[in-house]
Amino acid sequence: MRAWNQRLKRWPGWAALLVVVVVVLAVGATRSTGPQTQEDRIDAIARRVACPVCDGESVYESRNNASVAIRNEITDLVRENRSSDDQIVGFIENRYGAEVLLVPRASGFDALVWVLPAVAFVAGVAGLAVAFQRWKLQAAATGAPTDADRALVDAARRADGAEP
Amino acid sequence: MVAASINAALGRAGLMLMLGGAVFGALAVLYGIRRRDAKLLRQSPRYAWLALAGIVLAVAMMQRALITRDFSLAYVQQVGSADTPVLFNVAAMWSALEGSILLWALVLTGFTGAVAWRFRRRTDDVLVGWALIVMFAVTAFFALLSFGPADPFAAGAPGVTSGPGPNPLLQNHILVLFHPPILYLGYVGFTVPFAFAIAALVTGRLGEGWLMETRRWALFSWAFLTIGILLGGWWSYEVLGWSGVWAWDPVENASLLPWLTGTAYIHSVLVQERRGMLRVWNLTLLVATFALTILGTFLTRSGVINSVHAFGDGPVGAWFLTFFAAIMIVSLGLIAWRGDRLRSPGAIDSPLSREGAFLANNVIFTVFAFVVLLGTIFPLLVEALDDRRTVVGAPYFDRLSMPIGLVLLFLMAVAPVLPWRKASTELLRDRLFWPAWLGAGALFVAVFAGATGWAPLVAFGLAGFAAGAALRQVVLATRRQGWRGLVGRANGGMIVHLGVIMIAVALASSNSFTHSATLPLAEGDVVEWGGHTFELASVTERVNDRGSESVLAANVILDGGRTYSPAITTYLNIGQAVGTPSVRTGLTKDVYLTLEAGAQAGDSEATIRAFVKPMILWLWLGGFVMAVGTLLAAFPGSRRRRATDPVSAPIDTTPDHASADPVEVGR
Repeated sequence: MRAWNQRLKRWPGWAALLVVVVVVLAVGATRSTGPQTQEDRIDAIARRVACPVCDGESVYESRNNASVAIRNEITDLVRENRSSDDQIVGFIENRYGAEVLLVPRASGFDALVWVLPAVAFVAGVAGLAVAFQRWKLQAAATGAPTDADRALVDAARRADGAEP
Repeated sequence: MVAASINAALGRAGLMLMLGGAVFGALAVLYGIRRRDAKLLRQSPRYAWLALAGIVLAVAMMQRALITRDFSLAYVQQVGSADTPVLFNVAAMWSALEGSILLWALVLTGFTGAVAWRFRRRTDDVLVGWALIVMFAVTAFFALLSFGPADPFAAGAPGVTSGPGPNPLLQNHILVLFHPPILYLGYVGFTVPFAFAIAALVTGRLGEGWLMETRRWALFSWAFLTIGILLGGWWSYEVLGWSGVWAWDPVENASLLPWLTGTAYIHSVLVQERRGMLRVWNLTLLVATFALTILGTFLTRSGVINSVHAFGDGPVGAWFLTFFAAIMIVSLGLIAWRGDRLRSPGAIDSPLSREGAFLANNVIFTVFAFVVLLGTIFPLLVEALDDRRTVVGAPYFDRLSMPIGLVLLFLMAVAPVLPWRKASTELLRDRLFWPAWLGAGALFVAVFAGATGWAPLVAFGLAGFAAGAALRQVVLATRRQGWRGLVGRANGGMIVHLGVIMIAVALASSNSFTHSATLPLAEGDVVEWGGHTFELASVTERVNDRGSESVLAANVILDGGRTYSPAITTYLNIGQAVGTPSVRTGLTKDVYLTLEAGAQAGDSEATIRAFVKPMILWLWLGGFVMAVGTLLAAFPGSRRRRATDPVSAPIDTTPDHASADPVEVGR
C-alpha cells in the first residue's frame, strides 16, 4: 500500500493531475453559458453606476428614487438592445457626471488607485527578496557548526534529560 | 453641566468615576514603577475596578433612560421612541455615535479589568504595569470623548416628549443586538496585545515573553472580529434587501482593515515564537491593527468620508485623528528608539519553508489592507488634491480582491505542508499529491455542477487544494493523537482554514453565479423562472399593535410549497419605508425575494424581484467552523516542547527522507 502510494506520487501521478486540471479547466472556462438574460445585463450595468445622492452605494443596491430612476433608464437602454454595456455606462456618465462611475477611470490622477496597489505588491515582493538575500549572506558568514558548538548543544540536552 | 435628570446625573457620575479610575490608575502605576513601590503597584487592579464600576453605572443609566423614555436627554430624543420594542430599545444605545462610544468604553474598560484580574499576582512586573498604563490611557481617552464631543448625557431641547426611535433598519432584526457588541469585542480587544507591545518597547523586554502573554487575547479578539464582521454580512443580507452580504462601504472597510492586519499578525507571530525573528514587523502589525481601528472610527464617525469639506464639522473626527497621530508617533518613536534591541539574530534559510510562507502571507495581507485603505480614502485624496468628487465602489474592490484571494488560497494549500527552515521539492511532491488531487476533484465537481469562467473555477480548484492540505494535517494529527489531534495551534488553525475555505467558496459562487429577475405576478398565475415557480396568493397589509409600523406583504407560494412574504415595512412615525426581504435558505442555493414598490393591499397583482444565490449558507457555516477552530487553537496541544528541543527536524541528506514524519505537533 505504502510503496504503491509512493510510486503513484512520482511524476506520472503529477502529470496525470496536470492533464486532468488543464482539460477540466479548459472545458469549464470556455463553454458557453447560454445567452445572458436582460435582467442579468441590467444588474451588471447597475453595479457599475453609483447612486448620485448616497455615498458609494451602487444603483443596484440603493433603493432611493434617484437610483430607481437611473435603474429604469438602464433598463430601457438594455431593452432597446442597441448599445453595449460600456456605451450605456458612458451614456449615464454623460448625463450625471463622472462621479457616478463606481469603477475609477484608469487615466489621469485616478489611475493612481490602480497603480499604487501594483507598486505596493512589487515593493513587498522586492522587500522579501532583499531580506532573503541578506539572510543568505548572513547564514553563509556564520559558517558550519564546529565540534565545540555540537558539544555545547549535547551538554544542554543531556542536562534537560533528552536523548543525546 | 446641569444634569437634565437623575439618569443624566448618575450617568455623568459614572463616566466621571471611569475617567478618574483611568487617570489615577495610570498615574499611580507610573509612580509605582518609578519608585519601585510594590505596595502601590499591588493596588493597581483597584483602579480598573473603579473605572469598570463607573462605566457599568453609566451604561445602566443610559439603559434606564432608554427604558423609561427619559426624553430630557438629547440622546434619547435622538434614538428613543415610545414605540420601540423592548429588545431593540436595548440596542438603541448603540444606534448612534454617543451610545456607540459608551459601548466601546464599556468593552474597553471590561478588557482593562480582565487584564488587571488576569495579571493580579504580577502587579510588580514592570511589563504588566506599563501594559496597564497603556490600557488606562486609552480608557481615559474614551472617557474624555464622553465629556467632550460625544456626550451621551447631554440635556435635550425642553418640552420634547417623543422621539423617532432608532433608524428603522436597526429595529427589525435580532442581529442588531449581537453584531455591534461582538464586533466591538474584537475591535477593542486588540488594545490588549497593543498595550503589551508598547509595554515591551518601553521596558526593553523585547523577547518573546509578551507575545506568549497576549497570544490568546489576540486570538480571541481576532475571532470576535471575524464573527462580528460575518454577523454584519448576515444582517445586511437579511435586512437590507439588495441580496448582498458585503458592499465595501467605508464602515465595512473600517472593520475589515484591522481584521486584515490582525490576520497577518496571528500568522507572523508564529515565526517570532519559533525563531525569534520578525520582532519589528510583529510590533508594527499590532500597532497598525490598533491604529486602524482608531483611523476607521475616525473615517466613519467624522463625516469626512462623505466630503472632505465637512472636515471641521464633527469635533469627534478631530479627536480621533489626534489620537491616531499620537498612537503613530509614540509607537513608531518607541520602535525607532529600541531599534538596536529589536534586531534578531536568526536568519530564514529558504523562501520554501514555513517561515517563508508566513512571510508571503504577510506581504499579501498587507497589500490587501493597503488596497482597502487606498480605495476607502481615495475619494478624499481626489477631492483634496484635484477638487472633484469621485466614488470608488464595490467593483474596484471586487476586481482587486479576486487575485489576492486566489493567491491566499494557494498559500493556504502549500503552507501547511511546509516544514520549518527548508523544504525540498521531493517533500512537496510527496505531501501535496493528495491535496492537489482533491483540488482537481473540486474543480471537476464545480464544472460538473455547471460552473463557468476562469476566476471562479480557479477559486474552486484552489479551495479544494487548500482543503486537502488542511484535512491532511488534521487526519495525520488525529491518527497519531486521537481527539487531541484537533486541539492546539497548528491543528485548530487548520480547522479555521477549513472555515475560511467554505467562506471563499461561498463568496466565489455567490458573486459569480447569482441570477435575478423582476417578476410581475398575478393571483392564480404560476410564473416560472430560474427553475422555480412563483405564485401570488395575496397582497396583505398589517399594522402592528402599537400602530407604529405597517407591513405590506406579497404572499408568494414558492415551488408550490411554503409561502414567502417579501414586504415593504413603513415606519408610520417617520414615514420611512424599508424593503424587507424573504429568503428561502438551502444547502446549495437561496431564493431571495423582495417586493417592488407599487402594490396595494388587496391587489391581485404585485411585482417581486427574485434572486437565486448559490451557496450563501456556507458563509455562515464557514464562520461557525472558524469560531470552533479558533477555540480549538486557543488550547495548547497535548505535548509541550522542551525548551532545548530543536525547533525543527534537522535537514536530512539521505535520499529517502521524504517519508520522514510530516506532522507538526501543535504546541
